[in-house]
Amino acid sequence: MTIIWNELRALRDGVDYGTPPREGEPVTLSIDGVETTVPARSSVLLAATVAGATVPKLCASDTLECFGSCRVCLVEIDGRRGYPASCTTPVEAGMVVRTTSDELVRLRRGVVELYLSDYPDSDIEGGWSQFHTTLAQVGLEAGLPADHPYRGGHTHGALAVDESNPYFLFDPAKCIVCSRCVRACEEIQGTFALTIDGRGFASKVSPSQNESFLASECVSCGACVQACPSDALIEKSLFPEGYHRADSL
Amino acid sequence: MPIPCKPDQSTITTCAYCGVGCGFKAETLEGRVVRMIPWKEGKANHGHSCVKGRFAFDYYQHPDRITSPMIRKSVDDPWQEVDWDTAFAYAAGEFKRIQAEHGITSVGAVSSSRCTNEEIFLMQKFARVALRNNNIDNCSRICHSPTQFGLSATLGAGAASQHFDSILQSDVVLVVGANPTEGHPVFGSMMKRAIRRGARLLVIDPRRTETVDSPHCRAEVHLALRPGTNVLVLNSVAHVIVRERLYNEEFVRARCDWDDFGLWMSMVGDDRYSPEVVGPEAGLDPDDIRRLARIYASGPNSTIYYGLGVTEHSQGSTGVMCLGNLTMATGMVGREGVGVNPLRGQGNVQGGSCLGSWPHMLTGYRFVTDDAVRGSFEDEWKITLDSEPGLRLPNMFDAAVTGSFKGIYIQGEDPIQSDPNRHHVEAALRSMECVVVQDLYLSETAKLAHVFFPGSSSLEKDGTFTNAERRVSMVRKVVEPLGGLADWQITVGFMNAMGYECHYDHPSEVLDEIARTSPAYSGMSFDKIEKLGSVQWPCNTDAPEGTEVLHTVAFPRGKGSFMLTGYLPTQERATDQYPLLLTTGRILSQYNVGTQTRRTANMVWHDDDLLEISADDAAARGLASGDRARISSRYGTTELTVQISERVNPGIVYTTFHFAHTMVNNLTSDLDDWATNCPEYKVTAVDVERVSAPQPVAGS
Repeated sequence: MTIIWNELRALRDGVDYGTPPREGEPVTLSIDGVETTVPARSSVLLAATVAGATVPKLCASDTLECFGSCRVCLVEIDGRRGYPASCTTPVEAGMVVRTTSDELVRLRRGVVELYLSDYPDSDIEGGWSQFHTTLAQVGLEAGLPADHPYRGGHTHGALAVDESNPYFLFDPAKCIVCSRCVRACEEIQGTFALTIDGRGFASKVSPSQNESFLASECVSCGACVQACPSDALIEKSLFPEGYHRADSL
Repeated sequence: MPIPCKPDQSTITTCAYCGVGCGFKAETLEGRVVRMIPWKEGKANHGHSCVKGRFAFDYYQHPDRITSPMIRKSVDDPWQEVDWDTAFAYAAGEFKRIQAEHGITSVGAVSSSRCTNEEIFLMQKFARVALRNNNIDNCSRICHSPTQFGLSATLGAGAASQHFDSILQSDVVLVVGANPTEGHPVFGSMMKRAIRRGARLLVIDPRRTETVDSPHCRAEVHLALRPGTNVLVLNSVAHVIVRERLYNEEFVRARCDWDDFGLWMSMVGDDRYSPEVVGPEAGLDPDDIRRLARIYASGPNSTIYYGLGVTEHSQGSTGVMCLGNLTMATGMVGREGVGVNPLRGQGNVQGGSCLGSWPHMLTGYRFVTDDAVRGSFEDEWKITLDSEPGLRLPNMFDAAVTGSFKGIYIQGEDPIQSDPNRHHVEAALRSMECVVVQDLYLSETAKLAHVFFPGSSSLEKDGTFTNAERRVSMVRKVVEPLGGLADWQITVGFMNAMGYECHYDHPSEVLDEIARTSPAYSGMSFDKIEKLGSVQWPCNTDAPEGTEVLHTVAFPRGKGSFMLTGYLPTQERATDQYPLLLTTGRILSQYNVGTQTRRTANMVWHDDDLLEISADDAAARGLASGDRARISSRYGTTELTVQISERVNPGIVYTTFHFAHTMVNNLTSDLDDWATNCPEYKVTAVDVERVSAPQPVAGS
């Protein structure tokens, strides 16, 4: 019988395996030429992390079940077509995985450029969130070049910041709709206060039925803030001078 | 540019709030706490948090903090700020004068469950070596003292049998008189995780709490019993288990006293406890009692979590024994996924119980009357100890009113607000000649004090906390003490001023002293806790890395004892004059008497104690939500704002006790648990009448 808490207790401060640690029979596979053994039911992303590879990721976290929406953790696996997301691919014995190649760099960069096309320029330099780490991993730490073709499209920059909660705020301009907050509210806290409202470009994080965080079912446990990779949900205490968007200055 | 400031330091510590004891990383920037991040390696929380521990930390630097020691001759005089040595000398002079005039036992001390294990240990040492008596008590007197008594009597250890994670291995979860999603939120989330994985939930509680029904988490059976009928209902559950032969004979024969079991069977098997008799008296459908008993007994792994709804009754200890009996009769103890677990309120109230802060017991629940136990401390402390048990806190107050108790040293407690029958406590404190209060703020109690020692918050000192699952975790200094001294240093300073010389360079030396004198802690040290992250007691040569599940092979005394748990209704009855029963509880965003959380933005969610009342009872009194109402009991009156609620049945009203101004403990009685004096907070007969026109209801 699987002892769930052993999986919980395998979490490590300062390490994000990308998907929850699992208990199971040992499975050996090759990651970038390194023989790596992890428990069955682990993801390729977890195995890559164990092997010391730094696969960029945004929607994946080892405190949440895998989701596979951000398409940044793509890898190459011998004998598989295309570029599977390593977070949603379970390990198999004898798998041969490459976490980096020219094509992977090109694909990941392309995906992150799309995220950047709807992320405020003013919030890139000096940032230290997981999103910013990911930018650096794919060589986009300076943001989109001024002449990039993705510039000038629609953004969520006009949506109001929700500062109703006394402790944290939600800035939709920085939200990449990875659902980590929604999943944290469900899987970790068990309150089910958040949802993704709308479809496609219009989809956005919504507390209860499009209410403010304060008016919603939210119990302010902080799991969503902890889960957010892109500073969209963030502690107000990190802004001692208050939160002012660049365009409002 | 909205770039967040980046903390420059991070310190792993333990939350200051409830008995879950979450691990946190306290992040600071230029010496100020800017963020508390839940620690992924914390074994109580696995990286999760609640609104209190995660966000409500600003209390530590609130302008109300007192940072200088103060003294005054009379409570009518203004406070005079003095240096530490002057304060110690004044307090010690007063205590020595009082003892010379009124006798050695005319003074006492109370330790705080918000202080560390080391500080609690030093408080009881202070009473025993500096006051030379056993007048030392702690706040679990008024919360879980029946747990210690009731579980010790049955299973042999007065603490939780499991670790929190064990609930993930349970098939049935029985919650009695507790509301974990509000009172112990991070454990509540773990419980909900277990329910979502398929465990069945059973709840015994007068209110339809959030625990009873929330998204994807609904109780299969909820016994909304009349307050005060716990023992009756639990005996009825046992009745069904006995009469329907649902007990685990193999387990009982192997692990328990079989003769005790026979006596117990004949008691609970009596027709007076059949669900059909009990149901009407407790306000329940007999079928629901039978269903709950069958589901619990069927397991295969059933676990019990309970709170103050069990203990704070005139039969509180009996209620706890009922739970201990149930686990043994069904064999639901001694392995993963089963057991019986008190959900303890304050961060270190388990430590408060373990570390000898009792008038009759030294560390590890060993009696002061035992010459060998006392002798081991006499050897350690090089002093002769009083063999006579001291006064319990309520007895100290009683003795003060009658004139034989004249001085008290209160560490981080606010009995004026927290203890029952406020008028009595106030009269007691007013009659004393020297009240020494050590606190962060001028509490209600400090208003009646003669000496004020500015205490330190748990962000300002090193030490350990013991949580509700017996887990000892590190508390680490994140910022310097605002008043200059950590609480342990204050007690040591007072002890030296009293004439007992002792010196510690670091709290780790106190834990070493605890380990030398206390079998359950004998294997503990700061180094070991650093290495393992946290350690559950017992930690000794048999279990060098601690013990996650108790009673796996045998009970501490060998065989488990079935205690007889006859039901005696409380004297507190609803009458024509006081037709409603008031019960009290907690809310998520506030903590205890609110000393800390009222000084944070948590006030946004809850800025007042409200009176929940059923629509029927409200209509009969012409009350609407938002009205002010006067609540009267046999003991006193207060006013609260009314909130009509479907959470309470007709005949029952409910409020929280987080605010000083609402003075809910004006109402509560001086009735208490027969064995431990734990107050009967959970049942007070009251009447409610409208006093004014509607006002906006906060938080609704």
